[in-house]
Amino acid sequence: MPDVVHESVFNLQFPFTRTLGSTLSTFFSALAQGQIIGVRTGGRVIAPPLEYDPDTAADSGTDYVKVGPKGTVSAWTWVPEPTHLHTIKNPFAFAFITLDGADTAMIHLVDAGSESAMKPGMRVEATFKPVDERVGRIDDILAFVPAADPAPSAGAGESWDAPAEPEISTQDSYCDLVYVDNTSASTLLWMESLLAGKLVGQKCPVCSRTFVGPRGMCCVDAIELDETNVVDVPDRGVITNFTVITPVQYPGQLETEPFARCSILLDGTDAVMAQQSILDIPADQVRVGMHVAAVWVPEAERDVSEIGNRGWGSGGDCISGWRHTGQPDEPEENYLERMM
Amino acid sequence: MSHQPVAVVGIGQTHHKKRRGDVSIAGLVREAAVRALEDANMDWGDIDAVVLGKAPDLFEGVMKPEMYLADALGAVNKPMFRVHTAGSVGGSTGIVGSHLVGSGRHKRVLSLAFEKQSEGNAQFALGGGKSGSIGAGGAFAPFIRAYIRRSGAPEDIGWRVAVKDRLNGAKNPYAHLKLADITIDKVRESPMMWDPLHFLESCPSSDGACAVIFTDEDGGKAASKPPAWVLATAMKSEPSTFAGRDPVSPQAAHDCSDEIYKAIGVTNPREQIDCAELYVPFSWYEPMWLEAHDIAAPGEGWKMTERGDTALDGSFPVNMSGGVLSSNPIGASGLLRFSEAALQVRGQAGEHQVGGAKLAIAQAYGANAQFFAMWAVGSSLDPLG
Repeated sequence: MPDVVHESVFNLQFPFTRTLGSTLSTFFSALAQGQIIGVRTGGRVIAPPLEYDPDTAADSGTDYVKVGPKGTVSAWTWVPEPTHLHTIKNPFAFAFITLDGADTAMIHLVDAGSESAMKPGMRVEATFKPVDERVGRIDDILAFVPAADPAPSAGAGESWDAPAEPEISTQDSYCDLVYVDNTSASTLLWMESLLAGKLVGQKCPVCSRTFVGPRGMCCVDAIELDETNVVDVPDRGVITNFTVITPVQYPGQLETEPFARCSILLDGTDAVMAQQSILDIPADQVRVGMHVAAVWVPEAERDVSEIGNRGWGSGGDCISGWRHTGQPDEPEENYLERMM
Repeated sequence: MSHQPVAVVGIGQTHHKKRRGDVSIAGLVREAAVRALEDANMDWGDIDAVVLGKAPDLFEGVMKPEMYLADALGAVNKPMFRVHTAGSVGGSTGIVGSHLVGSGRHKRVLSLAFEKQSEGNAQFALGGGKSGSIGAGGAFAPFIRAYIRRSGAPEDIGWRVAVKDRLNGAKNPYAHLKLADITIDKVRESPMMWDPLHFLESCPSSDGACAVIFTDEDGGKAASKPPAWVLATAMKSEPSTFAGRDPVSPQAAHDCSDEIYKAIGVTNPREQIDCAELYVPFSWYEPMWLEAHDIAAPGEGWKMTERGDTALDGSFPVNMSGGVLSSNPIGASGLLRFSEAALQVRGQAGEHQVGGAKLAIAQAYGANAQFFAMWAVGSSLDPLG
């Protein structure tokens, strides 16, 4: 039997798409051309530009101006050990940099070699990725480096003629998040029972309701339930309700054909397991009143790593689904109140 | 609850679309907020506090968007609140804003709710980032199947709601879907999505935002346009699942409307209330909520739909705006219901106006049909008087 895990590790990944809107489209389209811009609003130049004045929320307009590529550092924090998520691999500073021609500071990387090279008031200069590698994202600027010549940037403060239709209007924002759930005592009870090939619930001593799988609480009486409240429940029951789902495609979706998900009232109990899959019969032949039994994955192949603390009743990779037993159906009318 | 009177004096919403590729999230919420400010004849500086609502952050993948949006919504140096109660959040966001005025804490409050569904994927987010998401349709379809079996309603009731709400939506300049040529046949023949729900019986996926500005009695009386008075608010919730729970006609839904009716002295909602905006993301929820909110007797809600009572020109119009079936920027959907009720009693609902509406209710629900938010708004502080 595989060891029961005490932490569940999940990896959430999704390619979100940002729509930039007019102001940020103009900024990122210019950036891809190697030009940093700001917007003149409320008597000052904000760079990077915002579509609103952050002090008053007034519309910031379209009076765009060239800023940088040189600027002055006002404050920084040193990153001695960059992780795989940082865009440069050697130690660097995150710094507030007020670009020439701008009145506000932007945050970017300063690649100065060592922390001792960082000084308030130091002059830095943007280094860009090669033109063909720029995508209109803030890391089109690789980093700022100490300026070879501290003299003001040529052209800073001049107007920028923004195209009516900026080239870049969206930005990919890939989410890759790893998170760890500390497995609760009741989830561990559930995992252990699934690995042993049986179903358990917790029965509330006050209202006598049974919760499958165990939740560690009765949500009706608001009391804690523990291992002393565990009861064995059968892995057989009757379908009380169902739907057939036409899968919507999204990144990570594996289902391609319509699939049924059923509520199953376990025999001799008041416990319903929701969203269970039915094996071996077409989705359109699932009926309320059908007798079904759990189909267990062979013991050596059972896996509970996908079970989290909130997936009440999920069979993980231990139950592959439920199969019609062949017994005659029960009358549908008996189950109209038993979706839950 | 001792509350000072609260007036809705500004309402704004975006044009809702499948994808608002022309605006950022900040631009989207500002579009609604600016319309509400213009409606209220106010400027950003007039607002004392901002309340922001939306559905789970995983929908757009922007964590804590209230922080990113604080300065976009003029909340610098002002209180900024975030509300989250699943699908009912738009309603809760309106209620929280109204309480900040009703309690006397603030004089002018902006409530804003939004969703930019096109930046992510709701099915992905609702499925916790895993394969095989059942989505909202898959979660609610069994409840609908049970309602149909219990009530003995004919199968065309859902199709009728789908047609009626889209015809209303076609009169609403802000609606996402404008399906003026929709027919019962088109609904019936559209693909089955979550048996027994067809594609055209389901809400769209929308980008959009809605904003409401609240003020006190003096502000309401001084407003340049007629205000809507918030007469009562209620929020109720119950656990998602337990043996014996009835998700078709949840106790929390009954409790929510009971509290509203009691607060405003309504004893016969069907007769005393002029119209209702109910959260109907899937067609069959119209008769289900008519019953769960005691507007129709148990098992009788579908007959109101069948008779045409809930049509714009019927005796009890429901979802005059086109409802969630016509626009579904999820987080904003509840506030859009609440706003439409307010527009109706202000007489500002344009082509979808119910003539002479004096008392309207709006409702939103969420999660496993377990969170409920409702308010009643009137053209005066005593519309039944």
